[in-house]
Amino acid sequence: MASLSLRTLVRPAIPVAPRIQPIIAAFSTTSFLTAGPPAVKSRKDLPKKTKKTYKKKQNIVPVKKPGPGERKAFRKRIQLSNNSALPVTGIESLEAATMARAESGGKMFAVPDQVVDQLRALEAFKTTQTWNLFRKPHVLVRKETVELMSKLEASVEKKEAFKCVLTGSALSGKSLTLLQAMSYALLNEWVVIHIPEGQDLTNGNTEFSPVPDTEPMQFTQPVYCLKLLQNIYKANKAVLEKTPVKMDWSRLTSLKQGATLADLALSAKESEFAWPTLSALWTELTQPGQPPVLFALDGLAHINKVSAYRDPSFNTVHAHELLLVRTFVDALSGKTKLPNGGAVIAATSENNTHYHPSQELVLSQLEAGQAGREVPKPNAYEKKYDDRVYDALKNSEVIRLEGVSKDEARVLMEYWGASGMLRSVLDSRAVAEKWALGGHGIVGEMERASLMTMRM
Amino acid sequence: MTTIASGLRHARCASSIAAAQWRPAILPRSSFQLAIRSITSDSQKPPSLEIEAAESVPIPYQGVTHARVVPATPSYFSREPQFNDLYIGISKLLTKYNHLPTVPPSEAPQMPWTKLEEMRAQMGEPIKSSHYAKVMRVAKRLNLIEPSLRPQEVKVALTEFTRDINPFLNMPNPITIDKFGRAVGVGKRKESTARAFVVEGTGEILVNGKTLSEAFGRVHDRESAVWALTATERLDKYNVWVLVEGGGTTGQAEAITLAVAKALVAHEPALKTALRRAGCITRDPRTVERKKHGHVKARKMPAWVKR
Repeated sequence: MASLSLRTLVRPAIPVAPRIQPIIAAFSTTSFLTAGPPAVKSRKDLPKKTKKTYKKKQNIVPVKKPGPGERKAFRKRIQLSNNSALPVTGIESLEAATMARAESGGKMFAVPDQVVDQLRALEAFKTTQTWNLFRKPHVLVRKETVELMSKLEASVEKKEAFKCVLTGSALSGKSLTLLQAMSYALLNEWVVIHIPEGQDLTNGNTEFSPVPDTEPMQFTQPVYCLKLLQNIYKANKAVLEKTPVKMDWSRLTSLKQGATLADLALSAKESEFAWPTLSALWTELTQPGQPPVLFALDGLAHINKVSAYRDPSFNTVHAHELLLVRTFVDALSGKTKLPNGGAVIAATSENNTHYHPSQELVLSQLEAGQAGREVPKPNAYEKKYDDRVYDALKNSEVIRLEGVSKDEARVLMEYWGASGMLRSVLDSRAVAEKWALGGHGIVGEMERASLMTMRM
Repeated sequence: MTTIASGLRHARCASSIAAAQWRPAILPRSSFQLAIRSITSDSQKPPSLEIEAAESVPIPYQGVTHARVVPATPSYFSREPQFNDLYIGISKLLTKYNHLPTVPPSEAPQMPWTKLEEMRAQMGEPIKSSHYAKVMRVAKRLNLIEPSLRPQEVKVALTEFTRDINPFLNMPNPITIDKFGRAVGVGKRKESTARAFVVEGTGEILVNGKTLSEAFGRVHDRESAVWALTATERLDKYNVWVLVEGGGTTGQAEAITLAVAKALVAHEPALKTALRRAGCITRDPRTVERKKHGHVKARKMPAWVKR
């Protein structure tokens, strides 16, 4: 009785329902399943924590690194067509006199393929321009373009060089107007010389060598000159081959009787002869009876400063002591006459520039003089005025490029729309919006606002 | 001087003054009794016949019906008597004027209703919020009575439920268009303040004398600066001249949005709803959170160092 009562204490009085046991074991043939988990006898048998390491594995997949200069070539490549863009039909192609006519103002024109090749040789296209968004290069002929081209036209009639400086706010189309001037010159069978970046001449990245017996010492840039000479030949081949040499260059090179300027340009095979040949070519071109010349340069502020070069006594060298720069500056200042007409055009750059008080002053003075306003006086506390810059620029004309008018903006945007780049409805409201967002029609800013901003 | 002295001399005569003073002391008794709720009305006027008879023998408890003083209001024993009185008062008014025509709540005059906390403080009574809500419901119902037909009684009663200062009267000065056709709007965002001068025109915008592209490098900022005009499709209808200062580019651009929107509303008040939907009316209240002591920045704590 006592044991029974004790049992009741240990066990539940309520009988537990019999459990249904799994009968897998009876049919199993594998000892593994029947064995179950290993018996835990002590703490050693407990499953141990293994420390996980998350150290990053070395990626040993061999990757081909781009070769030397490959990245830069990719960065600097010029893409002038895009097969994804729609071809735009019904746009006239540029012809010799098209851009000088007043009625072509505010219209789009296609650049002929041949001119495109020539312009490419002259390095007239810039990487920052959005040529790669469209099927073919087209240009908008704006009011200022017509004005400039008619002056180029007049220069040939007057047999006098047209000297001008293109200036204006950033992305307003200065380089593009220069390109238009070059295509006008190419279409009219002028000889075009183009220095695509003034910076390349003065930042000390190209070789230079002193010219003996010069005081103050002057310098040539042989490698750059050779490249320039080749570009001139490539771009102006047709014209140069038609033009005979007029002077005797026997001390420089052996040219046959009745040689042409193309032969002269090609005669420089080595960089040592590049500058004398270029100089000879320039002298030939400034003789009466030769074709008109367009001498163009982009990035004016860089050739109006003290260059990064040093003379043998380690004094700084003013950029105007570099002979190629000096040639341009002499042409721009009117010291070198162009008896066949032609033009010397320099364009300022707003994105790649430096503080240049004397250039700013001269340009503002010229502009005020042209407009008949009061000519601004130099700042009395400014020490860095450079008289050479004043002398270089004083005879030129200033053409200021700012935003396009709303009508021109509409023509441009219609072209964008026809190319499939602008998907929204194009009405006056849309034009006004982009015109305002682009800072009153600054073309580059309008492109940024409407073509280069991703809209999801 | 003499008049004061003579007055004081009269005052010295104690008996006459005491007698004169005593009477008013008695008289308030009747007024005090007025405060007591009178259940029977005849207690006030004793029958004239009895006065003559009673002159000889005063009969006690004449005209007294209640053995004890009856409280003046039914709320006397409640926890919040003044509040209860208010409730009774306006409930009576509501039953009295329930028949008067009402206006929809949107057209009822805006009233600066007293808040619960305020009412508790005013009365010094622990008013329950449920009771307060009940009372306010009646008050708001009374406020719906057509304003032109509203009795004076109701108006007076409702003043007890309103604050002394009416914040709804505190309206900003309306923006006017001056003789040059300009409307000036002011907008703020973060640390920036913008003043926009909006005139009818052709869609030219100058920010601190610069064009939009010179003033803002980011296209997004340019777009947000003119968003008030773009959203309402008025970009080619107005010229905007803005002065903006303080803060960074984003703040300045969004301050301009608000400023232009305000000035635009002055030109075309009907655009206000559209502008509100475009987010050009409400000022974004977010600003830099202050730095706290013990923190490196507003929230950041210094790193734990062992020693």
